[in-house]
Amino acid sequence: MFVQQLINGITQGSIFALLAISFAVIYGVLRLVNFATGATYMMGAFAGWLTVQYVSRNIFLAMLAGLITGWCIGYLIEKVAIKSLRGVARIASLICTIGFSIFMMEIATVIFGAETKAMPSFFNEKAFTLGEVSVVWYQLFLVGTAVTILLLLQVLIFKTKAGLAIRTVSLDFKTAGLMGINVDRTISLAFSLGGATAGIAGVLGSVYYNIVNPTMGNLQGLKSFSAAVFGGLTSIPGAILGGYLLAIVENFGVQIVSGGYRDIIGFVILVGFLLFRPRGLLGKKTSL
Amino acid sequence: MKKLNIAAVALGSVLLISFPYIVPNPYLVRVAIMCGIYMILASSLNIVIGFTGMFSLGHGAFYGIGAYTSALLALNLQWPFWVTFPLGGAMAALFGVLIGVATLRLRQIFLAFTTLGFGEITRIVILNWDSLTRGPMGLPGIPIPTFFGVRFSQAGYYYFILLFTAVVVLFIYRLYRSRIGRAFIAIREDEVAASHMGIHLFGFKTLAFTLACSIAGLVGAFYAHFARFISADQFGGNESFAILTMVALGGTGSILGPLLGAAVLIIFPEVFRFLAQFRMVIYGAILIFVIVVKPGGIVGVRGVFEKPVQAIRAKHSHQKGGR
Repeated sequence: MFVQQLINGITQGSIFALLAISFAVIYGVLRLVNFATGATYMMGAFAGWLTVQYVSRNIFLAMLAGLITGWCIGYLIEKVAIKSLRGVARIASLICTIGFSIFMMEIATVIFGAETKAMPSFFNEKAFTLGEVSVVWYQLFLVGTAVTILLLLQVLIFKTKAGLAIRTVSLDFKTAGLMGINVDRTISLAFSLGGATAGIAGVLGSVYYNIVNPTMGNLQGLKSFSAAVFGGLTSIPGAILGGYLLAIVENFGVQIVSGGYRDIIGFVILVGFLLFRPRGLLGKKTSL
Repeated sequence: MKKLNIAAVALGSVLLISFPYIVPNPYLVRVAIMCGIYMILASSLNIVIGFTGMFSLGHGAFYGIGAYTSALLALNLQWPFWVTFPLGGAMAALFGVLIGVATLRLRQIFLAFTTLGFGEITRIVILNWDSLTRGPMGLPGIPIPTFFGVRFSQAGYYYFILLFTAVVVLFIYRLYRSRIGRAFIAIREDEVAASHMGIHLFGFKTLAFTLACSIAGLVGAFYAHFARFISADQFGGNESFAILTMVALGGTGSILGPLLGAAVLIIFPEVFRFLAQFRMVIYGAILIFVIVVKPGGIVGVRGVFEKPVQAIRAKHSHQKGGR
């Protein structure tokens, strides 16, 4: 039982971690939360579902579709909600991303219908058994892909010039601008990256749970935000850690509280951390 | 000019009071009652968003808490409406204080997310607490309120909500002009300056938030006894977003704005029935459109969305302001 919960936790944690990263990248650059992350996750899932359904039953193609969709949505949101609202109270941007979130969710409902669609599963042969627990290839694939993406992002942010720009802007964007960094393009890049990560997470998540529906991103987005706060919104490794920890805590927590209350665990962690340690486990010591 | 205003108000009052008699159409009176309910909800959310500049995305949950509290007390303990109605407001206020204390010291974004999360949690708890709330089946048969032994007719509901709306609007109008209201606006404009003027930031923020939640709870209690059936889905995230859209569309920070926004967004879907499935799409689009193109809303006052702060200064004041 213990091993089973741990494995489930790590698998689901990979999805949380990807979304938490999406929050952390944008929060790092702009000190802003993109509310539409959950909706982007959902749109990514639908892009993947369309690809699998109508183009080819290939998970890599589906992931590519999710990535492109997420990238475009992130780019668009930045153009409308951030760039055109420069110099206006920051909260206006936040509310604008909420508008996007509602809009995407409802447009998906109108186009695809509110009912849940089945996403086919991939690689669901048994890989190995650990005691009484069998692990499916897809779980390994999911964790592997997530870790690869997280590593790639880490390389991008810490080893490339674009990453240096992102880090500089997150320290102080006025000075960054004076140093010749194209702040607009950097912010746009951060949003696109965040969107792309969320889009891929959508495909991976929908294949894992085998479902696609317009509201699938709601709780997922909310919980991933809790995960990001848990680990530390200002720190990317923190967000990853928070994602995995939250999923593991959730899976063990279900043993104690009944299944229906499962979704509350993340929220309790969120409020607890905001109250007693707002910077999270690994966050930098800045006031939030 | 002043005479004209008085005349307009008098004419408006006469029209509103005689409405159920001029238009004896139960459907239209029902729409009018729903308008009243949402006008109060939007006005109360406006205390938080428009006056104090904080973002609550869980207003629907406080509305629901009021509704469930009042309904459960009336159904299980047979307490009269006049007792359960204020208790609904009190319960919502209690939760408001708890959420406020947890998040109001932090940056606005956290309040936004926590209240959104709180809304989801409330819905989940209502759905799962079968023994108390009957879960997904909802609560039917909530008793009709009585007034000195006479059961409320539809006109009774109408007059109740009319009076209630009038009291809330008057209260907010007086609040806006009071010391407390000015403190709220000072916090919205610049937290650092406000705190240096001796305004207790945390205290006033909590006050504004709790006030809004208790009003929402009161309306919820009324709604429960008016609709006589409530279920968790009526108080979910969509409800909160709808109220938020009403405030944004009407104009944040004005007294008239939320009233107009609520009226437009309630009447619009009734007139354009064929657009029913696009209702929330339109809400989302309105939210984006209003903020980007017409930040002042219909009324066009200088609200929260047009604060001409420099980005850098805003960053610093937000970072230090909450503490």
